[in-house]
Amino acid sequence: MGTASGIIKALNSGIKHLAVKRFTLRYPEQKLKFVGDGYQYDPTTGVGIAGYKGRHILFHDKCTGCQLCAIACEGVAEAIAMVKVNENWKHNKKAIMPQIDYGKCVFCGLCVDACPFYALYMTNDYELSSFTKEGLIYTPSQLQVKPHVQQDAEIQIDDRGASHG
Amino acid sequence: MTTQLPPGLQLEKVDERIMTLNVGPQHPGSGHMRLIVQVDGDYIVACDPDPGYVHRGEEKMCEYRNYITNIPHLERPVIHDSCNILYPYCLAVEEILGLEVPERAKYVRVIASELNRCVYTMYWLAIYGIFLGHSTMFMWPMGDRELLIDLLEKITGARVTHAYFVPGGVRNDLPANFEDVCLRQVNYFEKRIKEYADIFYDNPILISRTENTGILSRQDAIRLGTTGSVLRASGVDFDIRKKEPYDVYENLDFQTNVLQSGDSYARSKIPWLDMFESCRIIRDALRKMPKSGSVRVKLKPNPKGGDVEVYRRVESGRGALGMHVISKSKPEPYRVKISVGSFRNLICIPYLLRGEKLGNMPAVYWSLNYWPVEADR
Repeated sequence: MGTASGIIKALNSGIKHLAVKRFTLRYPEQKLKFVGDGYQYDPTTGVGIAGYKGRHILFHDKCTGCQLCAIACEGVAEAIAMVKVNENWKHNKKAIMPQIDYGKCVFCGLCVDACPFYALYMTNDYELSSFTKEGLIYTPSQLQVKPHVQQDAEIQIDDRGASHG
Repeated sequence: MTTQLPPGLQLEKVDERIMTLNVGPQHPGSGHMRLIVQVDGDYIVACDPDPGYVHRGEEKMCEYRNYITNIPHLERPVIHDSCNILYPYCLAVEEILGLEVPERAKYVRVIASELNRCVYTMYWLAIYGIFLGHSTMFMWPMGDRELLIDLLEKITGARVTHAYFVPGGVRNDLPANFEDVCLRQVNYFEKRIKEYADIFYDNPILISRTENTGILSRQDAIRLGTTGSVLRASGVDFDIRKKEPYDVYENLDFQTNVLQSGDSYARSKIPWLDMFESCRIIRDALRKMPKSGSVRVKLKPNPKGGDVEVYRRVESGRGALGMHVISKSKPEPYRVKISVGSFRNLICIPYLLRGEKLGNMPAVYWSLNYWPVEADR
């Protein structure tokens, strides 16, 4: 193959892409859709359930304050601290629950794997930025809130290429 | 009176012809490492690679954490290939703890690790393109890489740093309807990387820059102990997936790509050809995978092994990746030695660059499929 025809072929290949759909995700307007409601774990079978590993959600009616999540995090990020809560639960006499510092968390989800009481899961919420370091520390009452996310962009493939819808 | 300067600060004897040039350690030129190049005019007379700027002490950190909490930090050296760097660790720890991995988990692992190999290769290809001044080749792989990152995100729940492999299987099963989505996106991905031939690999400008530069002969490749794409580009048919098959690679249908010329062009082409094989492996694994079953062995908290040492190695995106784990009947490993392909390929830089033009340095250096952070561990 001659040099000239090779260069023309290369240019042609690039020019063809003028007609191909744009693949960029236009982030703040569009958000990627994830599988399920976030990473969860079933302690009876010992296997997780596929989902995005985002901010945690804590179920106060299930947490017993056993500290297993904090122990699991010790060797990883030391992001979890057990703090006192002003709540009276029969199953949580010490009234302590995890508080997560997202300045340290690496979103590995090993704390979810450690919880034997279905009390700690992860959610699809990943927009956690804050102007202060203290703002990244989520108290048990903040972790209780179910996130409001609107994520619906999916990769679609057709004759004109792939796009985010 | 002359003052005695401490060692390391003494003035170097300056030769009028030879000039010493530092490439790096700033990130844009060379990654997190330095190449001390000595040039005579435009020609390189000697080159001394100087790694170690991003040493993180991964091996020492392993000695203070148990077998499970080692997982998130062990994948940090190469976050784009995190499944493959955890693979030998999991194989070794399974041997120590005596775990039998379920059949379905083996297939899921192969799929995840092949997807991850492609993600890494696309990232490397993008960097190789931009360092040769081909900015389209930066944009295309970075965009098409998204198809596979999306698949990995569906499986593992994270775009990079998946923390997905554990001793005894994988963390979670594949999501529902994953096979259809995976087949559709992998097929489209394969169609896309075929288009790279016209614009990049058959492009006469690229060929003129990379062909016959930095030739590594077959004997040198073996003598210097290189691995992965560097070894296969020099005509040695060695792929651990074929030669020492781990998990289910022996059941899967694929071939290894070998090129004979040993120059930068061959070294840059091998990872691209390997991506077609990865697509083949993924399709084959999806077909042969058991449709149901467990994917993880339930472990006790803080599992302990006996007094054993195990060495396991796998084929990563950059070559052989081995882990030597020593257990002394404690929940923590006594020693973990990580042997990575990047560091082993680094040794051939002085041989490849001697006598080359300075302008050819990026073409040769980046063709080694080198990842500085992994080399420093």
